[in-house]
Amino acid sequence: MVGTRLPRGTTARVVLASSRNAWADLAATFTPLTWTLGWLGRIVAQVIFYALIGSLLGSPDRMRYLYIGAAVVATAMETLLVVSTSTRERYSGTLPLLVASPSRLWPVFLGRSVQWLPSGVATATVALFAIGPAFGVRFTLSSGFAAFGVLVLVAITTYGYGLALAALVLRFMRLRNWATNLSYTVMMLICGVTVPLSFWPVWLQGAAQVFPLTHTLHVIRLLEGGTGDSLTILTSLGLAVLTSLGWYGVAAFLLERLATAGRRRGSIEFAES
Amino acid sequence: MTLIIAPPTRLESALAYLNGLLAGSEREVRELRRSPDRLMALVTAPLLTLVFLAIMLQAGREDLAPFAVLAPALLVLWQMALQTSGDTVESERENGSLEALVVAPAPFPAVITGRIAAVTTVSMLGFVESWLVAALVFGVRVEIYHPWVFVGAVLATAYATAGSAMALAALFVRTRAARAFQNTLTYPFYILGGIIVPVSYLPDWLEPATRLVFLSWSSDLMRSSLDAGPVQGVALHLVMIVLLGTLGGVVGGVLVRRALAEVRQTGTIGHA
Repeated sequence: MVGTRLPRGTTARVVLASSRNAWADLAATFTPLTWTLGWLGRIVAQVIFYALIGSLLGSPDRMRYLYIGAAVVATAMETLLVVSTSTRERYSGTLPLLVASPSRLWPVFLGRSVQWLPSGVATATVALFAIGPAFGVRFTLSSGFAAFGVLVLVAITTYGYGLALAALVLRFMRLRNWATNLSYTVMMLICGVTVPLSFWPVWLQGAAQVFPLTHTLHVIRLLEGGTGDSLTILTSLGLAVLTSLGWYGVAAFLLERLATAGRRRGSIEFAES
Repeated sequence: MTLIIAPPTRLESALAYLNGLLAGSEREVRELRRSPDRLMALVTAPLLTLVFLAIMLQAGREDLAPFAVLAPALLVLWQMALQTSGDTVESERENGSLEALVVAPAPFPAVITGRIAAVTTVSMLGFVESWLVAALVFGVRVEIYHPWVFVGAVLATAYATAGSAMALAALFVRTRAARAFQNTLTYPFYILGGIIVPVSYLPDWLEPATRLVFLSWSSDLMRSSLDAGPVQGVALHLVMIVLLGTLGGVVGGVLVRRALAEVRQTGTIGHA
């Protein structure tokens, strides 16, 4: 039962109902203590791990670059957990019920994993603003607020990509963890997380443009360095939103196809296709 | 007629242990074949090699390429051991088969050791992958100047990994949050183990902690074996790796037995 004034049968109501599931899932996965000591601690250790490479290189600039990249990619990484929680619906045997329900499938999955958005933003926020200064990462008050806003955008835009990946992986369940981890590592490699895009050949720089993270991370670096002009920042944010909308579209298309093909072939149970 | 069940002789116990060990390895090999997740670390290792190498090359530090190539291989070792020790217990618990495994005549620690030994052997492929990817993608050939030291370090590290995984399995038998621990025990250990950045770069107050992590000795020795200069303290490093691994294995074995005795008594091993 969804306690909301939203009219029955609307997409927004389905998304909201599904998001209740997401929050319940988060509460079942973590307590505030396990989230802080376990999850946040692990992410911060990961960020520090990469920043330390900067100290090995003997370059404070490299350390700062790596720290920012690793902190921001943590938001993206956490958002990609949408793949894991979406595919769990199939493992739990609830996917056939969702397909049989009068609602379309994409709004359900859109709301199903939103718990990772605030969680991802929170971990990167702690890493960037609370621990970052120890690694030379500094924001002014205004650029800090702006960077926080961009972190929220990192989460929302990457969620679109993650959702499309989840929709694809729902057909190839055994590959779900490979898809998440490979995606995340490719992002680390080519999206300007650990080395500037210019390090890579042009074709790879082009491929990096399809990831919203490439554009949002660029903006956070500009804000931290205090070097970005409004036009560059807005263009990058616009590109992030555009690519993300593309991914949301792909996700909705693939999810609806999954439902239609599954109904037709009766293959939606625990089977793989 | 009175039936007397004699306690097993030492030979019988050893044979039962060996049987359990072999059964565990066989089971793990089957598991590795049919569940791609178990090979995840080996799938991401080549990409991580590129990530680390790109950082070094972009900074113009080709001299640090051996650090970048070695790190993913060590990551694979640790990740796969961590995953196996956690998943072994957790998946059996989820299946409801943990109880059956515990009451079976084959000693449970032997089965776990067999599984861990099998996965540790497979995870050695991480070294091959890293070296190959570095050569094929960036044309970076990392030379092993002291092959015997390197081989010794790899074997000792494999042994210590298996021993530590046993200690982890003991932890996972007791907890219902094995997967959460699996996540938490990654990056802090990569830092303390000096997997890519030698522990000498860490603050002094952290050093005692790093010396309790066998990976810090392993990574030091392996890096030295890739350096043209003479390797210092080979024996000390090898002894420390083996010692810490043995300590993990023994403590883990005792803890697993104790945990099993306890959960048998309280009846809390499975879904209860």
